[in-house]
Amino acid sequence: MEQMTAGNFVFAAILLGAAGFFSYNAQRLARYLQFGKGAETSRVTEMPTRLRNLLVIGFAQSKILRDPLAGPLHAGVFWGFLVLTVGSIEILLQGVINGFSYDAFLPKPVFALYTLSQELFALLVLGAVSVLIWRRLVTKPKRLQGPGTHQAEAVFILSMIAGLMVTLLLMFGFASARQHGMEPGLHPVGGLIGRAFGGLSDGAQFAGFAINWWAHALLLLVFLNFLPYSKHLHVLTSLINTFFSNTSGPGTKGAMKPMDLEAEGVEIFGAKDIEQLSWKNLLDGYSCTECGRCTAACPANLTGKLLSPRKIVVDTRARLLEKAPLLVAREENAAPVAHAAHGDGDAHGHTATGEHVAVAAPDPAIEALLGKSLLDHYITEEELWACTSCRACVQECPVSIDQLEIINEMRRNLVLTESRFPEELLPAFEGMEQKGNPWSFAPGDRAAWAEGLEIPTMAELAASNDTPDILFWVGCMGSFDDRAKKVTVAFARILKAAGVKFAILGQEEACHGDPARRMGNEYLYQVLAKAAVETLNGYKVTTIVTHCPHCFHQIGKEFPQWGGTYEVIHHSEYLERLLREGRVPMDEGDGERLVVAYHDSCYLGRYNDVIDAPRETIRRALPIVDLVEPARTKDRGLCCGAGGGRMWMEEKAGKRINVERTEELLATGADTIAVACPFCMTMIADGVTAKGATADVLDLAELVAGRLAPEATASAS
Amino acid sequence: MKIAVCIKRVPDMDVKFKIAASGTAVDETGLKFDMSDFDGYAAEAALQINEKLGGGEITAICLGPDTVGETLRKALSMGIDKAVQLKCDAVPFDGYAIAQALAAELKGGNYDLILFGRMSIDSSNQSVGPMVAELLGLPCVTAASRLDVSAKTSGTAQRELEGASETVSFPLPAVVSIDEGVARPRYPSLKGIMAAKKKPLEVKPAQLGAATVTVTRMELPPERNAGRIIGEGPDTVPELVRLLQTEAKVL
Ligand code: SF4
Ligand code: SF4
Repeated sequence: MEQMTAGNFVFAAILLGAAGFFSYNAQRLARYLQFGKGAETSRVTEMPTRLRNLLVIGFAQSKILRDPLAGPLHAGVFWGFLVLTVGSIEILLQGVINGFSYDAFLPKPVFALYTLSQELFALLVLGAVSVLIWRRLVTKPKRLQGPGTHQAEAVFILSMIAGLMVTLLLMFGFASARQHGMEPGLHPVGGLIGRAFGGLSDGAQFAGFAINWWAHALLLLVFLNFLPYSKHLHVLTSLINTFFSNTSGPGTKGAMKPMDLEAEGVEIFGAKDIEQLSWKNLLDGYSCTECGRCTAACPANLTGKLLSPRKIVVDTRARLLEKAPLLVAREENAAPVAHAAHGDGDAHGHTATGEHVAVAAPDPAIEALLGKSLLDHYITEEELWACTSCRACVQECPVSIDQLEIINEMRRNLVLTESRFPEELLPAFEGMEQKGNPWSFAPGDRAAWAEGLEIPTMAELAASNDTPDILFWVGCMGSFDDRAKKVTVAFARILKAAGVKFAILGQEEACHGDPARRMGNEYLYQVLAKAAVETLNGYKVTTIVTHCPHCFHQIGKEFPQWGGTYEVIHHSEYLERLLREGRVPMDEGDGERLVVAYHDSCYLGRYNDVIDAPRETIRRALPIVDLVEPARTKDRGLCCGAGGGRMWMEEKAGKRINVERTEELLATGADTIAVACPFCMTMIADGVTAKGATADVLDLAELVAGRLAPEATASAS
Repeated sequence: MKIAVCIKRVPDMDVKFKIAASGTAVDETGLKFDMSDFDGYAAEAALQINEKLGGGEITAICLGPDTVGETLRKALSMGIDKAVQLKCDAVPFDGYAIAQALAAELKGGNYDLILFGRMSIDSSNQSVGPMVAELLGLPCVTAASRLDVSAKTSGTAQRELEGASETVSFPLPAVVSIDEGVARPRYPSLKGIMAAKKKPLEVKPAQLGAATVTVTRMELPPERNAGRIIGEGPDTVPELVRLLQTEAKVL
């Protein structure tokens, strides 16, 4: 190796400066995260799952690739960066150590592969970036517009990447020209470019190489140091975020965080500002790429509501970057400083030891900024209440951000701390609290649907020391809503026909509080959930079947938080099982040839991966069915609009979500729309009426019950 | 302003009641209890007055056994400052007996304003408020659907009459019973519920007057006859009209 040149010294100084500045920024941003004091569970549990997420979602870009065009382009750039980073290290070392090359360490074929990879990936990245710039400037996809985007910055960054690639390729070209293609390694691209420079003098070739080397190396350092100031911060944090994220597991997907309501000294419940969010919520802010995949899938946004999940995340970051530096400054000022001057009134205080402490007079401009909050000044109530908790945003986010958790924490603040919520929610809260159901139906009528059906209650069975195989949890909709009660009866008839030994809780069943929890009323929720767990545990219940996906999710996935652990099965899966095992006496014939479109309920599909069972149930119930799929389906199905407590709120802004969804379902040409949720049933049936269409909206249980063998029907009713 | 709000704990009325074995009271098993609706409006009215005037103190007073503690806590969680339970084994039916106990408590309290709900939704007697006013020798306004108290010396209230309304003015201290329409009772925030746990709840024996009226028998209304379905569609209308005229005699 040769001696260090003057150039090496200059570069080393620059490198040191750049590294110092970078680490200053890294520490600054890491420190800001510590202002997120919201409760957080350990994020280093279940390592195998985390590593899998890192590999599959992070490195293999599985979520990015869900977008058929931008996906491969971005993945190309990402993988290119990974490969080129190896080369970047070589280049930076070259800057400090004259003539450094991996050639000296690597076996020839490996080095050849390395040089080849650098050239090809540089070309690949340049190509992908060019298309991405074109997309930003010319085709302008909708999801890249709107609140929470930084257009100019995005184009600037992309151009910088393009610049990096061009200088790199030119560098390869000049290197090749200088050595007449005889340089070590494989250089098909460099060789080709090099030919163009073949006619230049040696000095010009050297100059060309040096200029591009310096330009590339300096651009690289500038790029690295610009990242922390831009949305491309995600380049640095997204892999970390993916590792720490729970949105694809570990833990229970979609389960809301339990709150400690007894905690002493808590003044603010839920999140009003960044301090009440967790460090992970704030890291989400850093990691957002502003890609808009979430907002493009959001049913509220699609139908013209103010809510945009991207804006929620971008606002969180913006507020953090506004407030955290002020908090840091305040902390630093608050540190006691020995003060020489004698105290003169207000501007000075005394510590216990008598030394002077400088108390800076509050700057009104800073106080005003501190006095703002994420809630209201960035994110409005209207946005928060528009959310249906459908989880489409969480599902789509390529860097595993949990937008919904931020929304939920802020709703909690509105209800628990501020008592601010749409007035329509008050009767729902009071109904749940006083009557055990959100519509204030008389609790005494809960089991009215079962009159004459001879279905035992748990209490009756317990009285004769008997236990059922399953508890049929009917749910509030299934118990009181006239349309849903038909589904309840249909399902009970199937259970009877199949000879399943089941019971209901009857009047002892009461709302488990899931709507309250989704609406932010964690207090009411916990009261109801704990009471329900007590009832269920009292009967030592082990297996529960329900036809409501919300009950299914709540009891199965969130009751363990309160000591209620049961096997909870949604009726779509239970029906599929009964049919598969041939336990339901079905009509022998083929039945009608219906064209059926199945509407995925969010709490089945996205929350719990129940996607195939409902379809299989339909196929088994209707052997000659023509099962069609709407445009948005399965884990990408569009919400009906009822979730997240929206069922109880008026939908004033924009188009109605249920109409949007119904149009999509009708566009399949289906004559029957199958649902597996009483809330979806209401919304889609209303949508069909609004469209003046004639399609039937039926629950899976009704499809199956309609095909029961005649004898079974006779004996079961 | 120093305000007292007298509240009552009543069962949720939206259930099928049963008569207790005594035959003179409802069977309370399985019933849910809460603050009587109109008392909620009274509590809200008191809170709004003091929020407007700033400062002041509101005391909620409830007569009954220890179960009323829950009702008082609810009032405290809405933002009321302190609570007094006038303890007795059972709430008598006689409003006068109750009024005497309340008056004894209110007398030395130096209250500027004493609020009641227009009536309790379980016994619907509408009598305790006016009786307390009488016992204390204070002016009384009943069933106020609007209440304006902006000075320490007087107030005005609006009362709904059949097809009209009247505005009355009165000097303070006074007793006012509140109708709905004043303002919907606020939903207690968790912050309020937590704060309520730390607020004072004083328990004193109720100095009930002698009961002069007692319930001797309580019975459920007769079962309604089942409805009749005459048929479907427009063809059945003449028959329906005929039956409404001849049998039901409502046309
Ligand atoms: S959960 Fe659904 S409605 Fe709520 S922000 Fe996400 S996509 Fe939009
Ligand atoms: S939250 Fe995720 S999906 Fe939404 S814009 Fe940011 S990175 Fe994209």
